[in-house]
Amino acid sequence: MTRVLIVILVTAMLGGLFLFGLLRGQPDREVESARLNRSVPMFELPVYPRYQPEFGPTLDVAAELSDRPRPMIVNFWASWCGPCYVEAPDLQEAWQRHGERVLFVGVQTQDRGKRAEGQAFVSRFDLGFPNVIDDDSALSIDYGLFGVPETFFVRADGTLMYKHTGPVELELLEEKIEELTAS
Amino acid sequence: MTLTSPRSTGRGRPVVLLRVVRAAVLAAAAALVAIAPAQEAATAPGAAVELQSRVFDITRKLRCPTCVSESVADSNAAIAIEMRNQVQSQLEDGRSETEILAFFQERYGDWVLLEPPRRGVHLLVWWLPGIALAAGAGGLGLLMVRWTRNARREGTEAPPDDDDLARVRAALGEKEPS
Repeated sequence: MTRVLIVILVTAMLGGLFLFGLLRGQPDREVESARLNRSVPMFELPVYPRYQPEFGPTLDVAAELSDRPRPMIVNFWASWCGPCYVEAPDLQEAWQRHGERVLFVGVQTQDRGKRAEGQAFVSRFDLGFPNVIDDDSALSIDYGLFGVPETFFVRADGTLMYKHTGPVELELLEEKIEELTAS
Repeated sequence: MTLTSPRSTGRGRPVVLLRVVRAAVLAAAAALVAIAPAQEAATAPGAAVELQSRVFDITRKLRCPTCVSESVADSNAAIAIEMRNQVQSQLEDGRSETEILAFFQERYGDWVLLEPPRRGVHLLVWWLPGIALAAGAGGLGLLMVRWTRNARREGTEAPPDDDDLARVRAALGEKEPS
């Protein structure tokens, strides 16, 4: 009798594990940034020509924030990335609303040698905030980027408040900008 | 200078030998001169192969951020290619494997390491299989001891006495032996 019970118990446990595996669906791919609440790297990278009259050939983020300390939103994109085209108008809208109190920076990454495509991207959406070129993707690795698009919300003290994976929407941008500027 | 033909007289043999030795020495020197650059050229690809081999060894310990269950070494995703370039560049700068793995760990967290670090909660990954194996072996051992004991007990039961035999015979309808 005891042996029968043990066999039933073990079979039920294995069956339960099997069902769990079947029903749990796709694993969650969202991984929290290792940089959360830590300082993010400052950087100086070349900008696209349309931003050069204002920033010069390169954008030095540390100098920019030192002159006028404020929160920063860093958005990583690539010319081959479909969701990046979806989020670009929302980022432009958010910049038009809050560009005075938050530094917006677009970073073209994982897109080696695709300057013409990058130029076409910023022109297509008439992006007003500076977009820089991370040709060797060194900055994306420094930020611990998983893919594109990803958006980093950085406090005025240079620490990472939140990282968003995937296309960012205006509603979320508004919410996070509120948090960034309130703190 | 008159030279003697080797075939014309026996006195010409040392001269011929001298010529042969001289020619051999010259040929060896020429061969050395010719081989030296070739050897140099052979060393350079060797170093490149060794570097690529080290890049592969390190990148197969790193998880590709945009892939599912693939290492940076195995993936052709854009980020994996850049990570391989980064590893190669750091190796060329003289950084060790430990330093390079720490570089990626700092940026991506423990997640990026395909082999979990042997500390904290990650120790469970290393210890649990051993614990499970030991528990399984222990349980099996206990069961085997119990089964052996039961079998032994069954084999050493007392033989039937006269009353038992009488009941068996009665059941079979046999007569009592006189």
